[in-house]
Amino acid sequence: MSTAISIDHVVKTFGPTRALDGLDVEVATGEVHGFLGPNCAGKSVTIRVLLGMLRADSGRARLLGGDPWRDAVDLHRRLAYVPGDVNLWPNLSGGEIIDLLARLRGGVDQRKRNELVERLALDPRKKARTYSKGNRQKVALVAALSSNAELLLLDEPTSGLDPLMESVFQDCILEATGEGRTVFLSSHILAEVEKLCDRVTIIREGRAVQQGSLDELRYLTRTSVTVATDRPLEGMEAIDGVHNVASEDSHVRFDVDGHALDEAIRHVSGFGIRSLVSQPPTLEELFLRHYGDELDESGGDPPPDTSPSDGGTADPDDDRQPDGAGR
Amino acid sequence: MTTLVRPDVESAGTSAAGDHRSASFTGLPQLVRLVLRRDRVRLVLWVGGIVGLVVATAASIVGLYDTPEDLERYARLVRGNTALIVQAGPGYGLDDPTTGAVVMNEMGIWTLVAAALMSVFMVVRHTRTEEETERAEMIRALPVGRHAQLAAAMIGVTIANVLVATGVAISLMAYDLAAAGSVAYSLSLIGVGSVFAGGAAVASQVASGSRTALALGGAAIAASFVLRAIGDVNESVLTWLSPLGWGQGIRAYADERWWVLVLPVLATVGLLAAAVGLQARRDLGAGLLPERAGPSVAAPRLSTPGALAWRLQRGAMFGWMTGIGLLAFFYGIVADQAESILEDNPEMEDFLAQLGEGSILDAFLSTAVLMLALIATGFTIASVLRLRSEELAGRVEPVLATPTPRWRWAVSHLAVAVAGTVVLMLVTGALTGLGLALASGDTSTFWPIVGASSAMVPAMLVLAGVALLSYGVSPRWALVSWGGFAYTLVIGLLGSALDLPQWALNVSPFTHVPAMPAAGFTWTPMVVLLTVAVLLGAAGVRAFERRDIS
Repeated sequence: MSTAISIDHVVKTFGPTRALDGLDVEVATGEVHGFLGPNCAGKSVTIRVLLGMLRADSGRARLLGGDPWRDAVDLHRRLAYVPGDVNLWPNLSGGEIIDLLARLRGGVDQRKRNELVERLALDPRKKARTYSKGNRQKVALVAALSSNAELLLLDEPTSGLDPLMESVFQDCILEATGEGRTVFLSSHILAEVEKLCDRVTIIREGRAVQQGSLDELRYLTRTSVTVATDRPLEGMEAIDGVHNVASEDSHVRFDVDGHALDEAIRHVSGFGIRSLVSQPPTLEELFLRHYGDELDESGGDPPPDTSPSDGGTADPDDDRQPDGAGR
Repeated sequence: MTTLVRPDVESAGTSAAGDHRSASFTGLPQLVRLVLRRDRVRLVLWVGGIVGLVVATAASIVGLYDTPEDLERYARLVRGNTALIVQAGPGYGLDDPTTGAVVMNEMGIWTLVAAALMSVFMVVRHTRTEEETERAEMIRALPVGRHAQLAAAMIGVTIANVLVATGVAISLMAYDLAAAGSVAYSLSLIGVGSVFAGGAAVASQVASGSRTALALGGAAIAASFVLRAIGDVNESVLTWLSPLGWGQGIRAYADERWWVLVLPVLATVGLLAAAVGLQARRDLGAGLLPERAGPSVAAPRLSTPGALAWRLQRGAMFGWMTGIGLLAFFYGIVADQAESILEDNPEMEDFLAQLGEGSILDAFLSTAVLMLALIATGFTIASVLRLRSEELAGRVEPVLATPTPRWRWAVSHLAVAVAGTVVLMLVTGALTGLGLALASGDTSTFWPIVGASSAMVPAMLVLAGVALLSYGVSPRWALVSWGGFAYTLVIGLLGSALDLPQWALNVSPFTHVPAMPAAGFTWTPMVVLLTVAVLLGAAGVRAFERRDIS
């Protein structure tokens, strides 16, 4: 079995709102899959469909080879979940809640539980009523990570944690994948996704706008290059795929699309390179560009498919769909 | 120079102090609007419900007793009847009965209780519940005074009470009842509502959870009902310790004593001062009792949905058991005195002859058991609807994300509701029987009372079924079951006074329960009611399994 999650054209509406509008996601077994999107993109709805809390209107969702609605109970034996907004019973202590949830799943790994409580610096004796958001999140994380579940569904699991705890969390996830577990992680903390995830799906308005490995997504995005040359650099603007050329003192800065990198560097080297600094795009840039472009086009469809094989000539800037333009 | 400067300094000082004080209430107008906006549906239901109840009672009494002879016949039946004094109050004005006095005797106390309940719910909802859900924090982070939310809740509840009172006064006068009495009664409705609103404001400072605050408010209402019942029977000072007693002490339609209105005003002011004082001394979100640490590891038995449901509900369960148990014990003691009226009241004998076989004691006991069962149904429904509050608070998701089937989670809380109802009615019967046995020395009634009380369980479970079905369809629909509860309460307490068609009485499951011990036990209604309850519950679970979790 190589597919842990497969979501195929799933639609979920709430009254007039189309929360999921033909969503497609594939998560392979053993990978850490990042699920990125702005607020209200449908991240939590997707996870709740996968948990069988919500029933999809149409389309097909499969989870660990089962139907998330029909086989919910059996599937839940094999997964652990951390909700985005952790709500706990105010009069139970954190330790009681961790144990209760673990027992409901089928048992506690006591050693792992205690180790996690220690690593995350959680006081398990306090009543949930007195916990801060971060501490409530820790309770849910301990309950999920101390299980032996083969799939972890994490909905913005670090949104209340401080940076120190965030790095502990990242270590825990890396350990989990080391044990061969699959992780589905929704987030808008891009550094976290960049650090942890093998593959990423970007969702917007209930649809996947991009899906691929980080390398594949980078391939389609621009690299920032700063060069200093012997002779003044000219003619960069003429190259297809080079953008935002700016001269600063002796340096020239430009952004270049992946497919034009070779041509651009070849051109630059003709002027005698003295220094060259290139930076891979961060997910922030990737993200901003997607939604930045969208805002410009006021709702135009994003490029739907960006797999590397046919993406070699794709330039999202040129991909505007005339019918979608609202201007 | 200094003499010139000093007055300025002083005036600056006083104005700063004045600003400081008024700053405690900054943002009040907007918050009042928020309260009214949030409660616009609830307010209409409460005010409409209470006024409607008064209109229905007044209409039927005006229709039933339209001659002085009719009124006198009613009064002879009621005068000095201990059992009825416990239920209804001292019966002012029944020596020379007017329609107004009869209306007061029939529904006066219950409308006061309804206004008190409305006030407690509303104040807790806008104070402690807001803090518990951390919405208060968001509001308090704005330029909003420390006491502004409490003040807004009090103004909102006052508006509600004034609306109720106005509606009641207009309705009573529309049935040609004396204006003075109608106004007096309406003013005491405002008074009683305000006192319990003040009490709820204090409870919201003391308790750190809204459930506890509501329980304290409910206990205060129950305690003041019992105080005035004992006081009315003994004609002792105890009545004057009870805000509900003040509400009746104004003697509407019976030579009004207007000065009594001073009592609720003073009490409300005192309670509000206490609430404001407490609020100024505590942290936002905290109660007065310190939060104790819990165990770091769960006890071995806390490992099933059922154990969780019990853990979450046991506090409420014990609270209800104590409250209803005390009330039951009190009814048992009073029941002993019920028999004494028979000797000098031939009218009563005729009345009971209409009811069927059985002594006057049995008649009193069956009424008492019905009333206790109706109140206990509040526990049954609240217990089933714990499912709803768990879901709306987002606490069902972590449980259902484990291999816990939905039906099992729903049944876990249902089981607590059913078992709790059974235990509650056994305790109710046992304590009524114990009270009577202690007062009269006669133990032969003990088991019949326990039987009568247990016979109420199937009817109560029908309402549990209604609650589960409405919740199963949608958590937003779940509150319908409180409407059903209010309906059975009105039918049970006022059914005979309201002169309703038989089908309207038949809708209430309690109509079908044999009035034991006055009447004999029959199996048929029990089996039918249980079947209906099971079908409703099963349909509720089915519906819940098929819908989205919100």
